Amino acid sequence: MNGAFSFGSYCPGDSPLHKMDPRAKLLLGCAFIAAVLCAQGFAALGVVALFVLAFYAISRVPPSKAAKSLAPLLFISLFASLLNLFVVQDGATLAQLGFIRISEGGVRQCLFIGARLVLMMMGMSLITMTTMTLDLTEAFERLLSPFSRIGLPAHELGMIMGIALRFMPQFASELVTIRRAQISRGASVAGGPAKSVRMLISLMVPLFASAFRHAETLSAAMDARCYHGKVGRTRLHPLHFAPRDGVAVAVIALLFAGIFAVNALV
Amino acid sequence: MIDSTNLGFTYDGQTFALRDVNVHVNAGEFVCILGGNGSGKSTFAKHINALLAPDEGSMTVDGNDTRDQRALYLIRSTAGMVFQNPDDQLVASLVEDDVAFGPENLGVEPAEIASRVARSLAEVGLMGFEKHETHALSGGQKQRVAIAGVLAMEPKILILDEASSMLDPRGRKGLLRVCRELHEAGLTIVMITHFMEEAAEADRVIVLEEGRVALEGTPDEVLVRTDVLARLNLEVPFACDFSVQLRDSGVDVVPCVHESALIAQLRNAAPAAFPCTEGYTVAQDASAVCAIAPMKLPPLPRTSTAEGTPLIEFDHVSYTYDAAMAKRQQKAAKRGKASTDVQAERAKWGNDPDALWAVRDVTFSVMEGEFLGIAGHTGSGKSTLIQHMNALVRPTMGRVLVDGKDISDKAAATQARSLVGVVFQYPEHQLFAATVFDDVAFGPRNMGLSEEEVVERVKESLAQVGLDYDEVQEKSPFELSGGQQRRVAFAGVLAMRPRVLVLDEPAAGLDPAARRDFLGMISDLHKRGLTVVMVSHSMDDLARLTDRVLIMKEGEMFCVGTPAEVFIHADELNAIGLGQPCPQRMAGKLRDAGMPLDISVLYDEASLVREVAGRVAQAVAEGSAAHDAAQPTPASAESAAEGFAANNAAATALDHNQHNEGGAR
Repeated sequence: MNGAFSFGSYCPGDSPLHKMDPRAKLLLGCAFIAAVLCAQGFAALGVVALFVLAFYAISRVPPSKAAKSLAPLLFISLFASLLNLFVVQDGATLAQLGFIRISEGGVRQCLFIGARLVLMMMGMSLITMTTMTLDLTEAFERLLSPFSRIGLPAHELGMIMGIALRFMPQFASELVTIRRAQISRGASVAGGPAKSVRMLISLMVPLFASAFRHAETLSAAMDARCYHGKVGRTRLHPLHFAPRDGVAVAVIALLFAGIFAVNALV
Repeated sequence: MIDSTNLGFTYDGQTFALRDVNVHVNAGEFVCILGGNGSGKSTFAKHINALLAPDEGSMTVDGNDTRDQRALYLIRSTAGMVFQNPDDQLVASLVEDDVAFGPENLGVEPAEIASRVARSLAEVGLMGFEKHETHALSGGQKQRVAIAGVLAMEPKILILDEASSMLDPRGRKGLLRVCRELHEAGLTIVMITHFMEEAAEADRVIVLEEGRVALEGTPDEVLVRTDVLARLNLEVPFACDFSVQLRDSGVDVVPCVHESALIAQLRNAAPAAFPCTEGYTVAQDASAVCAIAPMKLPPLPRTSTAEGTPLIEFDHVSYTYDAAMAKRQQKAAKRGKASTDVQAERAKWGNDPDALWAVRDVTFSVMEGEFLGIAGHTGSGKSTLIQHMNALVRPTMGRVLVDGKDISDKAAATQARSLVGVVFQYPEHQLFAATVFDDVAFGPRNMGLSEEEVVERVKESLAQVGLDYDEVQEKSPFELSGGQQRRVAFAGVLAMRPRVLVLDEPAAGLDPAARRDFLGMISDLHKRGLTVVMVSHSMDDLARLTDRVLIMKEGEMFCVGTPAEVFIHADELNAIGLGQPCPQRMAGKLRDAGMPLDISVLYDEASLVREVAGRVAQAVAEGSAAHDAAQPTPASAESAAEGFAANNAAATALDHNQHNEGGAR
C-alpha cells in the first residue's frame, strides 16, 4: 500500500555478477575505486568506462532501473564537479563575472572529476543492484571478523545492520501514520518556528517510543528462538568463494593493467 | 509434556503474578489458556519456554527443569513461542532468512536448514514465499512466518501468546486453521487468547484469574460457565450465551459451545418447531407455516439513501497510490480535458485495467448526527477512504465536500481538520507529550486558542472519555495503562471539538471488558449529538451501534444501507468473506435446519431468543398435548428434568478443587 520505501534498489537476476560472493564483490569494489583514482587522464577514464559498460552488460540490469538508482547520486557528483569549476584557477580565463572566474583548467578539472565520480558511482551502485542488502551485511561481518580478535564485535555489528535494515521500512510506514495523525490534530510546519518544533517533537517521540517497544519484544523473540551470539551458529546460505570470483579478480587486475598502460602511454 | 507444580512467580518481589499454578499438558493436546488483562496468562506462557524461571515450585518441559541452564536451548527449541505483535518478532528482511534464524542458532547444517525452511513454510501454507520481504506481508502472513520460524526448530510444543489479537478476522481464521492442522499432525499446542471462538476449538481450556487457575476442563464444561466468565470480563462464544438465554426463557437445552450441537438439541427437543426443508421450497408437513417466510429478499442497497443534511460528501472519489498515474490524471484535469462526465471516467478504468486503485468511484454522504459504520477486508480501501475525510489524502479524481466546501484547497482543508476529527488505529502510539495535559492540548494549541480556552477544552474532553482531570493531567501518558492511553489519545481529538468523529477500529487489540467500555463511550458521544464514522471488523458491533453500514470491497463501495438492509444478505456477505452478525448467522442456520424464521428480518440476540423460545414452547405444547391424548405420563417434562440434572452435574464437576485430581493424571 505505501511504497514509500524500497531500500538498496536490489534488482533480482541470475547473472555471474549476482552469483559472485558478496565478500569478493565488496573487496573488488574497493579495488575498483582505487583503480579509478589511479586513472590520470581522460584516456584512462575511457578504459574504466569500457569496463563499467561491460560489467553492466554482464549484469543484465535494465538500463532504466540503473538510471533510476543512479539519479540521486549523480546530483552529488554534479555538485562536486561544479565546485571544481569555480575553485580550480588554472590556465586561460574563459569567463569572468565579478569575483567569479572560470578558467580553462577549471573546466577540464570539472569534467574530469565529474566523469571520475560518475564512473565510481556506476561501479558501486552495480554492487548494491546485484547484491541483496542482507548478503552485503554478512559480507561486511565476515570481512571484519579477523578484527574480532582485537575486540571488534564483528558479528554483533552485522546483526545490528541486518535488524536495522529489517525495521527501516517499518519505521518509514509508522512515521507516515504518525505524521498523518498529528496533521489531523492541526500540526503543521508552516506555522512559525514554535509550531514547527512542536510538530517535530510530536513525530519523533512516538517514533522513539515505538522503537523501544519493538526492541523489547524483538529481544524476547530472539531469546525464544535460541539466539546466543555467534558461537555454534550456522548459516542458511554459507558464503563460498567460487571460480567466478577468481575470474573477477583477474578482470580487475586487467583493469589496473589497462589504466597504468594508458597512464604511461599518454 | 508440560508440568508446572505449585508454580509461583513475582516480578517485583511483592505481588505474585502467578501463584500455586498446577497445570499439566499431555503430549499432543490442544490447550487454551484464557484470562483477562493481568491474569498472568502471558507470564505463564513465558515460563513454558524458559524466558522466565519460577520463583516458587517448578516447571518441567519434556522432562527438563526450566531452571536448568544447560537445558535452556533444548527447552526453547522444544517449546517454540509466537508473540502477539506481528511486527515485532521477525528478525530478517527476507522470509527464508527469518525462518532459518532458529535452526541457524541451533547450529543445524545449511542443507538441512534449507529443507526445514521449505517444509515449515509449506506447513503454514506459505509455500514459495522464501524470497518475499517480510515487511510487505499482511499481519496474518507475518504471524504464519513466525510459526514457520518456530517449526523450523522442530519443536514438540507450539505456544501462541495472544498471537491472533492484532489480526483481522481473515488473518485470525488462517492462523487458527494452521494451528488445527499442526495439532492434527501431532504437535502439542498451548494457545493464550481472549477470543472464545478459538477456545472452543481446544481439547481443554484453562482459565486464569489473578495468577491462579480459576476453571479447567473441556470447552463444553468451561465455556458454559457464563457467570464465572462474566466476572472475569471474558466473553463467551455466541452459541453458549444464546443457549444459556434460551434455557433461562424456559427452553429445555443444555448450554453448549457449538452452534450445530445446539441446533441438534433443539431439533430433538421440539421437532415440530422445524417443519420445513431447505429453502422452503418443499414443506414437510406444514406448508402453510413455511410459506409465511418470504422467498425473496429486497436487493442489496447499492447507493446512499439516507435523509438529512450531508456533512461529508464523496463525489465519485477515486484514489491511487501510483504517483505517476495520479500525476497524469492531474495534468489532464489542468488542461481541462478531464471530463466530469461519469461515463467517460468509467471508460478510463476500462482502458487501464492494471492501474492500482485504492479507492474507486466512491459516492456517498455522511449525514449530520448519524452513526455510519464502514466494513471491509484489510486492503479494501477503508483506511484510505477515511483519510479523505480531512484531506490527509487528496482524491486523484472526484471531490470531497465537508460542510458543503470542496476541501481540495488549503484553507478549506485546514477548516475540515477542525471539523472532522480522525482517530487512527492504535492512537495511543501517537502520544508524545510529557504530561497528559500537554498531549490533549496539542490540537487546541495548534488551532491558536487562548490558554484559558485550551484548559477548558482539555477538561471537557478528558471528562468525555471518562478520565479524571485532576488525577491524570500531570501524569506522563506513558505511565498510564493501555486502555487509559487510548482514552487520552481520544481526548486529544475530541479537544478540537469536531462535529464528526472518524474512528479506525477503535477497539482493536483490547480485551473484551475494555472493548465494551470503549464502544459504550463512543455510543454515548454519538447520543450527545456527535456524528460518528467507525471502521470495524466486527459485524456484531456494527449491527448493534450504527445507523447505516457501508461495505467496501477491493476499493469499491459494495453496498451502503441500514444494518437491517445490509446484514440480511447472507450469501453476498459470505461471498466477500465478511459474514454476518452472530444472531443473524444463527438464525440462518436454524432456518437451514427447517425453522421458518423470516429471512427479511435482522435479529439481535434478544429477539432471536424470544422467537426461538416461542416456537419451541409452542411445538412442545402441541407435541405434549398430542402425547397426553395417547399416554398419561408427560414425557417431555421428564426429559426436561433430565436435561437440567445433566446440566447441574456439568456445572459442579467444574469447580477447580474437584477437578485437580483429574488434571494430575
